[in-house]
Amino acid sequence: MKEIRIGVISFEHMHALSYTTELGKIEGVQLAGIADSDEYRGTKMASRFGTKYYNDYHDLLTEGLDGVIICTNNSMHCQVSCDALDSGCHVLVEKPFAICKEDAEKMLNHAKANGKRIMNAFPMRFNPNVIEAKKAVDEGRIGTILSITGINHGKIPSGWFIDKKLSGGGGVMDHTVHLADLIRWFTGSEFSSVYCESGDLLHNRNIDDTGLVMAHMENGAFVTIDCSWAHHRNYPIWPQVDMEIIGTKGTIELKAFAQVNHVTDQKNSIIEDLCWNEDGDAGLIREFADVIRTGREPNASGLDGARALEVAEAAYRSSKSHRQEQVIHVEA
Amino acid sequence: MQRVAIIGAGTMGRTHCNAYLNIPDAQIVAVCDLDRSKAEGLAVRHGAAVFTSYEEMMSAAEFDILDICLPTYLHCKYALDAMEHGLHVFCEKPIALTEEDALKMIEKAEECNVRFTVGHVLRFFPSYSNAAELCREGRVGVPRLIRTTRNQAFPGWSWQNWYADYEKSGGPFVDLVIHDIDWIIHNFGEVERVYASSFNGKAERQEHGIAILRLKNGTICHVEGSWAYPKGSVFRMTYEIAGTDGDIEYDSVKDAPVWIQSSEDGQYRSDFLNPMSGPVEPYMLELKSFINAVEEGREPLISGQEALSALRVSLAALESSRTGCAVTV
Ligand SMILES: NC(=O)c1ccc[n+]([C@@H]2O[C@H](COP(=O)([O-])OP(=O)(O)OC[C@H]3O[C@@H](n4cnc5c(N)ncnc54)[C@H](O)[C@@H]3O)[C@@H](O)[C@H]2O)c1
Repeated sequence: MKEIRIGVISFEHMHALSYTTELGKIEGVQLAGIADSDEYRGTKMASRFGTKYYNDYHDLLTEGLDGVIICTNNSMHCQVSCDALDSGCHVLVEKPFAICKEDAEKMLNHAKANGKRIMNAFPMRFNPNVIEAKKAVDEGRIGTILSITGINHGKIPSGWFIDKKLSGGGGVMDHTVHLADLIRWFTGSEFSSVYCESGDLLHNRNIDDTGLVMAHMENGAFVTIDCSWAHHRNYPIWPQVDMEIIGTKGTIELKAFAQVNHVTDQKNSIIEDLCWNEDGDAGLIREFADVIRTGREPNASGLDGARALEVAEAAYRSSKSHRQEQVIHVEA
Repeated sequence: MQRVAIIGAGTMGRTHCNAYLNIPDAQIVAVCDLDRSKAEGLAVRHGAAVFTSYEEMMSAAEFDILDICLPTYLHCKYALDAMEHGLHVFCEKPIALTEEDALKMIEKAEECNVRFTVGHVLRFFPSYSNAAELCREGRVGVPRLIRTTRNQAFPGWSWQNWYADYEKSGGPFVDLVIHDIDWIIHNFGEVERVYASSFNGKAERQEHGIAILRLKNGTICHVEGSWAYPKGSVFRMTYEIAGTDGDIEYDSVKDAPVWIQSSEDGQYRSDFLNPMSGPVEPYMLELKSFINAVEEGREPLISGQEALSALRVSLAALESSRTGCAVTV
């Protein structure tokens, strides 16, 4: 098997750490280099993973890579992705796909023009518990899906995440997309209208940290997404991705991060729930490597990323108008 | 001592009768149900007279309070008549199916100078009242995000299957979610705007409704009520209150102290029990609170107006789920 060479652009989003670690576990994959405009962070990571450091990502892109993983802040996804695609790389870009529809369309067009694949990092599609629930749905165990209630709670992130210019938005941008993607995947239907109530309600950081989205799917199902950074510092677990799925023949309650050990550590005054199963990152990175090898359409494609972004955008419009907003779809 | 007559000896009639056994200041003197055996079943422990018609009971029995445990669409008619006869009225929730009916009941109680309350019992559930109390103490800072669920199988046990007729029961928003709506309004603030969705009869013997509420103080709420769970599934209620400094969560199944599994004739059964007996039994508490108000000649804890406020939000949810427009309350 031919070795494939993958680079990582930026550790601004901390998921880069886990993605790069997973890369190292795949046979026949070489980590070709790490680019990061933050020299301190970049050199540290390059030495940690035993690879070459580049200050300017353009330099990394001249190294004849097969693919890159992009974990810059959200506002840079578009430029960096387009540059990478133009250089002949397949791309895996962190979610949200982009910060606006126009950027998303540009990225999809660059992929098409260069004959390369662009994939969006939706690790939940590769979470073993999500896969189990999806399988039950596909086997018809609960009949036709009529409604889904999704909760993606978490703690409020810091740094660029809470700077609208760099992140494109708060919880509504950061968390709506995960569940919007899973809902599309589970129902096989597109979002048609979206309503949202959101605001800077919990943490006083001048960004939407709390949001409730309700939407109608083209097939008639209705769904909700709670995209709030609802948890505080000492909440026992970081990620929460839950779905209550109501079908014509039954229901499913999915708690994607329920496989935990409850740990009480009195020396450090910590009580926490630690997941012991794969979270989804491993599967995501394996998928990307396989897409590079085969050139096939990825599970969690760029178009999936763009479709989820459309929902977040409609949610922001609705938050302002207090009305149900139609989803504006990107050109496929 | 207050003399009480119960009309409607179904599920709630039975629940109330049991509760009165622990209220020394009240005595059940009459039980009325179209089905004599149901009325008798309840009356016997109280030594109460049995009736199969309201009119008959009104002419033959003497009492101070009518406790209405009838299907919702009958609340208004019997409440108005009882008030006109000078009786105090305890009415099961929801107060009525329409604003007009609710207003008539409120006005009639004033006009006839009788006490009137509605069974928003959730306020007396120890977990719910404790959570509200913790919030008042500031344990979670300012409550900002509230989620509630109230989920069960399609109600198939009722008299003439009246729950299944949404014209008679109002469906989950009016019948089920109204519990949480009242609890939210009372403890967390008035509702400004409602957006909601539900199956609205599209699915056969399955109904499911979710409303997003924006309160006047800015807090947002996700309230869910379901009759879409598979037949035989356990009733479950949950809440989560996220505030500026912390969060409170409760789940009647996950947090149930007693889980019973059994097998009878090859039929598996699973029950999650949350015993609330003695001084914290919520139905006893709500009835006792009303009895005390009547005895002391003061306004009951839960006024007709409050019951109407909750109904308005439920009806707004229903309207929104039909039109797709957010409704300002
Ligand atoms: N607070 C709660 O937790 C709670 C729970 C369930 C129901 N409820 C409410 O309680 C009310 C009753 O519900 P239920 O589940 O007990 O209903 P049910 O169907 O079990 O009982 C209704 C009873 O009323 C009797 N009835 C009907 N018409 C009558 C008439 N004209 N005269 C005398 N009896 C008559 C029926 O024979 C039946 O026994 C409803 O308004 C419901 O919304 C409240």
